[in-house]
Amino acid sequence: MNQAPIIQIRNLSKSYGSKLVLKHLTLDIYPGQVIGYIGPNGAGKSTTVKILTGLIPEFSGEVLVDGISMQDNPQEIKKRIGYVPENAELYEVLTPMEYLDFIGKLYGLDESLLQTRAQKLLTAFGLGNNINDRMDTFSKGMRQKVLLISGIIHNPQIIILDEPLSGLDANAVIMVKELITRLSQEGKTIFYCSHVMDVVEKVSDRILLINKGDIIADGTFESLKQNHSDTLERVFANLTGRTESASETDAIINAFD
Amino acid sequence: MNNLLLRMVSALMPLLERTGVDTYQLYQILRIKLMMDDRRPNAMFAGRRKATATGKTSNPWLVSLGTVVMGVLTGLVLIVFKGPLIAQTVYFSMFMVLMSMTLIADFTSVLLDVRDQYILLPRPVDDRTLAVSRILHISVYVFRLALLQGLGGLVIIGFMDGLAAVPLFLIQLILITFLSILLVNVVYLIMMHTVSPEKFKDIISYFQIVFSVVIFGCYYLLPRVIDFTSLVQIDLTQKVWAYFLPPVWIASLNEVLIHPSRATLLTSLLAIIGITAPIVGLWLVAKVLAPGFNKRLAIAATSDGNTSAPTVVTPNSTTKPNSSLVNQLAKWLASDPVENAGFNITWKLAARIREFKIKVYPALAYVPIYFLYFGLNGKGSIDERFDKIQSGSSYIFLVYLSTFVLSSILQHISYSEKFKPAWVYYALPISQPGKILSGMYKAVVTLYYLPYCFIIGVVGVVIWGPKVINDIILASVIGMIYGLLMALFMVKGLPFSKPVLLKQSGGRVVTSLLITGLIGAVGFGHYLLSRWETVIWILIIPAVAVYWIMIYYYKRQGWDSIELEEF
Repeated sequence: MNQAPIIQIRNLSKSYGSKLVLKHLTLDIYPGQVIGYIGPNGAGKSTTVKILTGLIPEFSGEVLVDGISMQDNPQEIKKRIGYVPENAELYEVLTPMEYLDFIGKLYGLDESLLQTRAQKLLTAFGLGNNINDRMDTFSKGMRQKVLLISGIIHNPQIIILDEPLSGLDANAVIMVKELITRLSQEGKTIFYCSHVMDVVEKVSDRILLINKGDIIADGTFESLKQNHSDTLERVFANLTGRTESASETDAIINAFD
Repeated sequence: MNNLLLRMVSALMPLLERTGVDTYQLYQILRIKLMMDDRRPNAMFAGRRKATATGKTSNPWLVSLGTVVMGVLTGLVLIVFKGPLIAQTVYFSMFMVLMSMTLIADFTSVLLDVRDQYILLPRPVDDRTLAVSRILHISVYVFRLALLQGLGGLVIIGFMDGLAAVPLFLIQLILITFLSILLVNVVYLIMMHTVSPEKFKDIISYFQIVFSVVIFGCYYLLPRVIDFTSLVQIDLTQKVWAYFLPPVWIASLNEVLIHPSRATLLTSLLAIIGITAPIVGLWLVAKVLAPGFNKRLAIAATSDGNTSAPTVVTPNSTTKPNSSLVNQLAKWLASDPVENAGFNITWKLAARIREFKIKVYPALAYVPIYFLYFGLNGKGSIDERFDKIQSGSSYIFLVYLSTFVLSSILQHISYSEKFKPAWVYYALPISQPGKILSGMYKAVVTLYYLPYCFIIGVVGVVIWGPKVINDIILASVIGMIYGLLMALFMVKGLPFSKPVLLKQSGGRVVTSLLITGLIGAVGFGHYLLSRWETVIWILIIPAVAVYWIMIYYYKRQGWDSIELEEF
C-alpha cells in the first residue's frame, strides 16, 4: 500500500435541512482494495455513495478521486467509476444490448468495441439467449446482471456496488464474488455496500462501519474481530449499540401470549 | 419518423457544440429517449390502453394515426362554422386543449422520471448536455404532436381558403403550440410549487377524469342545450370577451391575411397580438419559467432519493383497531373475519388506486349526463323540456341508470396493473373466496353506489317532492340485486388480483346484456306500478329479502368459480 490513495475524502459533511447525515468523514482508499462499507439503515451509507458517484453535487469538504476534485471536474471522475445502484433502475423497454450500447456510448466507447464487449459480457453472465429481449420481461436476477454489466462496461478503475447480489441465484453469487476478487487483483478498487454481513466478511479486505454519519470502525475483518466478537455480524451489532438482542426476541415471542 | 426528427435536430448540432454541449452524448440520449417514447403506451387514451403484464406496447404508428384522426375530426369544425373568426377560433381552442392535455397527461411521467437520476447522472454527462437533451426531447415530442394533430386542419384549410392559407396555417399551428407550452408550463410550475410529485400525479389523474367527463358531456349535451344554427353564424368580432381569448388572436391572423376584405382595425390588432404573444410567451418560458422549473424538478427528483435521511421513529402509538367509522361499518356489514378483510381491502384500494379511479370515476358523471341527454330529447324550448322532466316520473329511470356506476366498477374491480400483491389470496388458507367477494361487493356498494343513490334521492326529493322516496329505495335495492348478478356472472377474480388484459370474450357480453335487459324489464314494471305508493313501499320488503338470499349464496362461492392467475 505504498501507492497514492485513489480516493481521498477529507472532512466530508452533508446535511439535509438541519439534519447532519455525514459528520466530517475523512478516508483514504488505495488501489486494489476491496472496501466493505457497512452500517445500519439511515447511517449515511448511501449518501456517501451518492456523493462519490456524483449524484449529490452539493456537500462540504473535499472528495478527490485519482487526484481530481469532485467539485472541479465531476465528469472526469465519473469516467473512472462504475456504479451499480441498489434500486435497480433500468430503462425496461429497451433490450439489454440497446441499453448497454447507450450506456457505453455515454462513456464515449467506440461502437464496434462496445458491441463485441457487450456481447461477450452478456454471454458470460448467462444472458446470451436474451440479448434482444426487452428487459421488462426479465426476472430480478437478470436485470441485476445487466446492471452489473453496465457498471463495468467501460472498464473503470473504481467499481461501486450497492447490494449487487440481490436477486441473483447461488451460482451467480459465487461468480460475482469471484469476479470481485479477480477485479481487485487487476488493480481495481471496489467499494462494496451491503447488509449481508457474511458476504462482506468474505470479499472485503478492509471494512468500514458507518453509524450516524461517523466511521466508527475501520480495518481488516481480522483486526475488527479481535477487538469485539467472532463474526462481522456480532461486530456490527456491538458497535452499532445493539447489545440486548434477547430482549427484542423476548418481546416478539411474548406478543403471541 | 424519429430518424427524420433526429436528422433535423442534427442540423442544430454544430451550433450546440459551440455552447459546450457534448453533441455525441446528446444525440445518443435523444435517440434512446425517442425510442422509449415509442415503446411506452400513451396515457392519454388510457381506456384504450392494451399494455399487459407481458410487456406488449402499442404500435407507435397506430398511436400516431390516432392523433391524426383526432386532428381531422377537430379540423371538421373549420367546415361547420361560417361566421368570421369563429371557425378558426373553435379549431384552435380545441387544438390548444388537446395539446395541453396530451402534454400534461402523457409527458408528466417523462418529466418526472426519477430513473434518469440513477442512469444518466452517474455517467460522465455534464449538466448542460443533460438540460439541452431534456429541452430538445420535449421540443421534438411537442412538434411531432403538433404536426400530427394539425395535419387534418392543414389539408382542410387548403380546400376551404385556398393554397395560400396553408403556409399561414402552419405558422398559426406553431404559434398556438407556443401558447400551449406556456400554458402547460404555468400549470406545472403552480403544481410543483404547491404539491409533491406523487400528489402531482394524483392531481393529473383527476385532471384526466374531469377532462374525459367534460368531453363526454359536451358531446352529448351541448347539441341539446345550445341552438347550433345560431352559434354557427355567430360574429365573434362583436363580442368583447372574445378579445381576451388567445385562440381568437391566432384566428385573426387568417382573417387579416386571407380575407382582407373582412378585416377591420380590430382584427388587425388582434392578429398582431397573435404573433407577439406566443413569442413573448416562449421567451417567458425560456428565460423566466424554465430555470425555476428545472430547479424544482431537480428537487422533486432528489427528494425521492433522500430516503437516506432517517425518518423519525414515532413512538408506537397504540392505535385502537376498531376506532374508525369505516371499521365500524365494516364490522357491522361484514362480520365474518374473511369477509371483513375483503371489505376493508376493497374499500381502501378502490379509494387509493389511481388507475382504478381514472377508469371508474367518469362513470359517476356519465349517469346525469345520460339522463339529461335522454330527458332533454324532444321539442320545445329548453325550459319547456326541463318542465317536462320535472312533471314526469323519469326519476325512476335516473335511479335505474345509476346501476351503470355499479357495473362499471365491477368491470374494473378485479383488474390492476399492480396485481402481484394478490398472491396472498392464494397463499393463505381461504376456504371460501366467496366471502372475500361478498366483502368486496359490500364495500363497493357502500363506498360508491349507496352514497350515489342517496345523492340522487336528495336531488330527487328537491325536484320531484317526497313522493319519490319509496321509488328510490326500491330502485336502489333492485340496483344492488342487479349488481350482485353482474358480480356473480361477470367478476371472476378477487379484488385487484388480475393483470389488465384485453377485455373479456363475447360470451360475457351476452350475459351482461341479458342481466341488464332483465333489470330494464323490472324497472319498467316498477314504472308501471309507481302510481300506487303503498305497493312500492311493500315491494321493498321482498326486494331486500331477495338481496339477502343472493348475498348468502354469493358468499358460499368456492375456488372453482374463480379464474386463477399465475404468478
